[in-house]
Amino acid sequence: MKNEWMENFYGKVTVRVAGKGIERFLNLLVRNGVHVQNVKRHGTETATFTLRVREALRIRPFARQSECSVEFLRRSGAPFVINRMLKNSGFIIGGLMFVFIVFFLSNSIWGIEIKGAKPATEYQIRKELDKMGVKIGRTQFSIANVEGIQRQLTNRIEALTWVGVELKGTTFHLQVVEKKQPKKTEQLSPRNLVAKKKATIVHMFVEKGKQMVNVYDHVVPGQLLVSGLIGKEGATKRVAAQGEILGETWYKSYVEMPLNTSFKVFNGKEEQKHYLRIGSTDIPLWGFGKLKLRKYETEENQRDIYLLKWKLPFSYVNKTFREKEEITRQYTKDEAIKKASEIALRDIKTRIDEDAKIKEEKILHRVFENGKVKLSIHFQIIENIAKGQPIPKETSE
Amino acid sequence: MAKKWGQLVRNWMADKMDLPQDVMMDLPRITMIGQIHIYIENHRGLIAFSDKEVRLLLKQGQLLIKGKSFVIKTILPEEILLEGRIDQVIYINEESGGKK
Repeated sequence: MKNEWMENFYGKVTVRVAGKGIERFLNLLVRNGVHVQNVKRHGTETATFTLRVREALRIRPFARQSECSVEFLRRSGAPFVINRMLKNSGFIIGGLMFVFIVFFLSNSIWGIEIKGAKPATEYQIRKELDKMGVKIGRTQFSIANVEGIQRQLTNRIEALTWVGVELKGTTFHLQVVEKKQPKKTEQLSPRNLVAKKKATIVHMFVEKGKQMVNVYDHVVPGQLLVSGLIGKEGATKRVAAQGEILGETWYKSYVEMPLNTSFKVFNGKEEQKHYLRIGSTDIPLWGFGKLKLRKYETEENQRDIYLLKWKLPFSYVNKTFREKEEITRQYTKDEAIKKASEIALRDIKTRIDEDAKIKEEKILHRVFENGKVKLSIHFQIIENIAKGQPIPKETSE
Repeated sequence: MAKKWGQLVRNWMADKMDLPQDVMMDLPRITMIGQIHIYIENHRGLIAFSDKEVRLLLKQGQLLIKGKSFVIKTILPEEILLEGRIDQVIYINEESGGKK
């Protein structure tokens, strides 16, 4: 009984025997190691039974010996099924091709719609998309994901404030918000110029208005530098004071710099694994075996698969493992001081205007403590200290 | 005479040493599942087979199985599995009954 599956696997042949010595014939077969099964008697001189395909040709001599005639009736089992399948393989291939083509087409890009952009910007966006590989007819597998496209577009095209990229089925919808670059409006309302911060004035250039302070004067925040009220007393006129008042200001920066620092860096070694995700289980497709990396970070990239407009319950996941390494950076004292002052300079530059000049830097204080260098640096900076302040109407008359 | 002696020794051994009789003495072992299956080991060949009657050769005598709609499921040199409805299993001894 348990052998029936094996018989199916090897392929069976049903045989009809006719003659007088059927029993003798069966005994002969059995003694010669033929696997005879399902022997049924039909009348007095005929019987049917099944045996394996490869044994089918061996039974002729035994039949002659026992004066029986054999006739092969039917073939069944795996080899014949496979044969039939091969013969009809066209249908199967066609079916597979159909599914594959539908699958492929529903994962291609069939349209890119851009909304809210001027023609010029739209052209630019299309060009950038082309460069990224987002084109009609491409598969969605080969391109970056939606967030990536969004980020790259905003980075590459200046005129965009924001672009929303959305993938609906096979069409990309881009919602664009353009930057409105404002025109410089001439400020025409009457105003004074006052000091922004504590400074010593080093240079003055007044275009309009009455100068109220002189070079080398020390000013405090809010102090009037250029007055917008001009003319003689009693007949004053309000104008918008304009000018550039450069003052020397002072900044202090305090920097701490450890001599030994340890960093975590990627050392470039990485491994990739590919999975098929069904629900929450991952079935590895490629990349087996244990990771050779010791410390690593994992980056996961999931791609949903669509058939027509439906999202299939499985998705393709690509995991990248990047090896991390700890690196210790060591500075000598001189190097640490140099680095620290560089940091201080960078720090200062973020605090002052772009057109400000650094006149001088002076290290006020320097301590080595607990493996750290502590610096306090004093900067002298020349910058525009003027700030507009509108003149209230009451005081004008 | 020598054959008889051997038989006797084997009989004695099977008895005293608790060995299965069928192994020691070449007797058939018959397993039946209700009326529907019969499994016979240690037979010596098929003598007659029809859908109502199967006759098997044993080392000593014959075995006759009567019933209905018999099908030999599997047959091997010393084993046979028979399916159908079994009504009777009869031993036929050559000395007493002879051939029928």
